[in-house]
Amino acid sequence: MPDQRGNGMQCNEFESLLTDAIDGVLTGPGLDRFQAHVRVCRTCGPLFAEAEAGRNWLKGLTEVEPPASLVTNILASTTGVDTQRLRVTVRSAQVGITWWERVQASLLEPIWATVRQPRFAMSFGMAFFALSVCLAVAGVKPADLRQVSLRPASIRLAYYHTHARVVRYYENVRVVYELEAFAQQVKRNVRPAATAPAKPKDNKNDTTQQPEQKQERNYSQTDNHLILASVPLGPSLRDLPVVSVTTDRRFV
Amino acid sequence: MEDVQVVAMLVRRCIAGDSAAWEEIVQTYHRRIYNICYRFAGSGDDAQDLTQEVFIKMYRTLSSYDPTKGAFVTWVTTITRNLLVDHFRKTKQDRLTDSIDTAASEHEDAQPLSEQIPDQSVPPDAQVRSREVGETVHAALARLSPELREAVILRDLQDLDYREIATVLKVPEGTVKSRINRGRAELARLLQRTYRQVM
Repeated sequence: MPDQRGNGMQCNEFESLLTDAIDGVLTGPGLDRFQAHVRVCRTCGPLFAEAEAGRNWLKGLTEVEPPASLVTNILASTTGVDTQRLRVTVRSAQVGITWWERVQASLLEPIWATVRQPRFAMSFGMAFFALSVCLAVAGVKPADLRQVSLRPASIRLAYYHTHARVVRYYENVRVVYELEAFAQQVKRNVRPAATAPAKPKDNKNDTTQQPEQKQERNYSQTDNHLILASVPLGPSLRDLPVVSVTTDRRFV
Repeated sequence: MEDVQVVAMLVRRCIAGDSAAWEEIVQTYHRRIYNICYRFAGSGDDAQDLTQEVFIKMYRTLSSYDPTKGAFVTWVTTITRNLLVDHFRKTKQDRLTDSIDTAASEHEDAQPLSEQIPDQSVPPDAQVRSREVGETVHAALARLSPELREAVILRDLQDLDYREIATVLKVPEGTVKSRINRGRAELARLLQRTYRQVM
């Protein structure tokens, strides 16, 4: 913006006073100087006119009416509670909140709001249905529950009975029996015939009452090894030069 | 504009989990937020979605509001503005870049802007003309740059004072005034150009 002077005012000063002038808060000699600059300056004069026109256009805009469902949608997306219920429970502005209301508001209402959601209700219903089906298949009747004794001894007895029943049932299942028999047969076929199970040592005549001596011998000092080491070399071999061989310890 | 004590009590009740207090806040501020969103985004559907997002964000961050730092309406407007800026950045690629003759909102019955200019030869009903002029200005507003648009919306449509706008936009007051002046002037130039084309 060119820095023109009009009635002692610069364009920078004009711009800083423009909003005040349009808002109508610029009065007195400041307003006179401002208006004089507007009349003289070829840049600031149109700018003032445009800014004022733009403000008038904007002031002519009316407030838009939000959609009727907006509040309901907002409440549903934030608290998850429909507004109709809340409208009933809207209370007048409270000055003080008791501790019980605080607990109720902070703990119970969120839980209740969650429980009331259709998704949660459907899940709960499905879980209840699945449980009741399982109990019916297992032969549990609600009437039987009245006769159940909750004493520790009774509970323990019931546990052992149930455990024994389950084990009996498992062992008597035909599939399990056949599978076990098949596995044993396969094991017998795979095991070589020569490797017969070692006979247990007969200790019946051992009356020393001493612990069994374990064979812990060093095989490098046995006689066989010494014999092999002392094999005499023949005359032809004795004349051969000694060659030291270094291997890479590569074994094929 | 708002009773600080009443709003502070409402906020405390909300934080404590009182859903009735939250509904009161929604009822009080939804119109204002919707209008900011509508004027900034230019579309009613976008404004509705954005308003919901603003309230969801408010609901989650309500405990961070400090009454000693400023008015609740300033806090709410700041959240709204930040969300609008995010939305603007996200939709930058998708935004329409056509001329002012393109329809800017669903309220305009999909007519080009030049066709919405009131016909001077046949004077229509005043209410209809006023609505059409409003839609023309709204379309022109959507053509302003986001910096200028948000400044004039907060000043001329939401009547915030310069200090509050400076707080919301996080710029000095002088910058706010400069943006408002430039925004108003640019809007007037756009509208003058449009009317000149029609005439």
